[in-house]
Amino acid sequence: MTAAPLPTVLIVPTGIGCEQGGFAGDALPVARLLAAASGCLVTHPNVLNAASLYWNDGRIHYTEGWSLDRFCQGKLALRPHRGHRIGLLFDGGIEADLLDRHRQAAAAARASLGLRLGPQVVTAAPLNVELRWGASGASWGKPAAVDLLLQAGRDLHRRGATAIAVVTRFPDDAGDPEALLRYRQGAGVDAVAGAEAVISHLLVRELGIPCAHAPALRPLAPLPHLDPRAAAEELGYTFLPSVLVGLSGAPRLIAAAEAGANDLLADQLGALVAPHGALGSAAVLAAAERGVPVVAVQNPCCLNVTAAALGLESVKEVASYEEAAGVVLALREGLDPVALQRPLPTAEQ
Amino acid sequence: MAQHHLKLRSVSLELPVAPGPLLGPIQAALASHGEPLRWAITGCRMSASGERQLRIEAVVITGGTP
Repeated sequence: MTAAPLPTVLIVPTGIGCEQGGFAGDALPVARLLAAASGCLVTHPNVLNAASLYWNDGRIHYTEGWSLDRFCQGKLALRPHRGHRIGLLFDGGIEADLLDRHRQAAAAARASLGLRLGPQVVTAAPLNVELRWGASGASWGKPAAVDLLLQAGRDLHRRGATAIAVVTRFPDDAGDPEALLRYRQGAGVDAVAGAEAVISHLLVRELGIPCAHAPALRPLAPLPHLDPRAAAEELGYTFLPSVLVGLSGAPRLIAAAEAGANDLLADQLGALVAPHGALGSAAVLAAAERGVPVVAVQNPCCLNVTAAALGLESVKEVASYEEAAGVVLALREGLDPVALQRPLPTAEQ
Repeated sequence: MAQHHLKLRSVSLELPVAPGPLLGPIQAALASHGEPLRWAITGCRMSASGERQLRIEAVVITGGTP
């Protein structure tokens, strides 16, 4: 007999340089493994977007970070959905030829994948995205023209979009050529990732529908010894295909008080998996405070906010995502993961 | 339609916290700077008096119509 799915959240925070998942969708294999182990995985675009590479799995629920935080806090429910009408929001700062490339990527997704595309809008002026570094080494940033971004999002929503892919023009060298080189060599933090999260958070908060971001950038000259984890971003002219595929099947966002019988709520969560040094997020803290088992995986990043540092009890620390999948599978089967350890701790420990 | 004129601001906080749940105290501390859009604890240390001190980096929304 197959055990019922164990709804599980996977978080690999954006813009903190995680060794696994800090690059171009390089936590996607982890997501596929945990989806198989749990039967139901909720995770965010940073995990699943590999530019023009993607993987579609009906067990994986593509949920943007702002809504994921609120889902874990019990404020939002996730309603499984297929076939969103995806609106396209383009930054007015994208050059005409680069804009054509993005429109053609969307057209290809419609023609070759059968995705349902909705209205398009180009903002009346450039959004002027600014990239920044936090004192911790995490990346962040923001559009200077916040109001224009939100106005365009409202326009798409009014015209029938049920999800939005937003493409903004980012500085080609990410504003920091040395940081970009380190990233491409597999040793740095993704300089654009934090700003991407801020942009998608703004739209989801404003509109209450799934949104995800792809940066518009000029293709880079080939780099010898490019790190394989960053390579997915150098395959084409746009990062849009994975965003469109992810959004096409993203769950709808429902106020928890209005949840129906088939909606997913935080009180159904059976586990949350996060990097061991990045446990200080709203989603992780909310899950821990609700008594959801937290599995902390060794996955070095620029933060060192561990369970011990935060005083979080009942966090299960594991050395790898393979081990995390074993813990999730054990929980799904109703096994106590501790029973698999040797020496076996005494019952009092 | 209401005009928003939202602004985003980065905030860096040092927050002493008592043992127990952290989410509520963090959200309350951030709320005094604006509506938190994105945040994370980026550091944590124990003070000489044994109190836990969190370092938080956040982006908050200021201004605009909710």
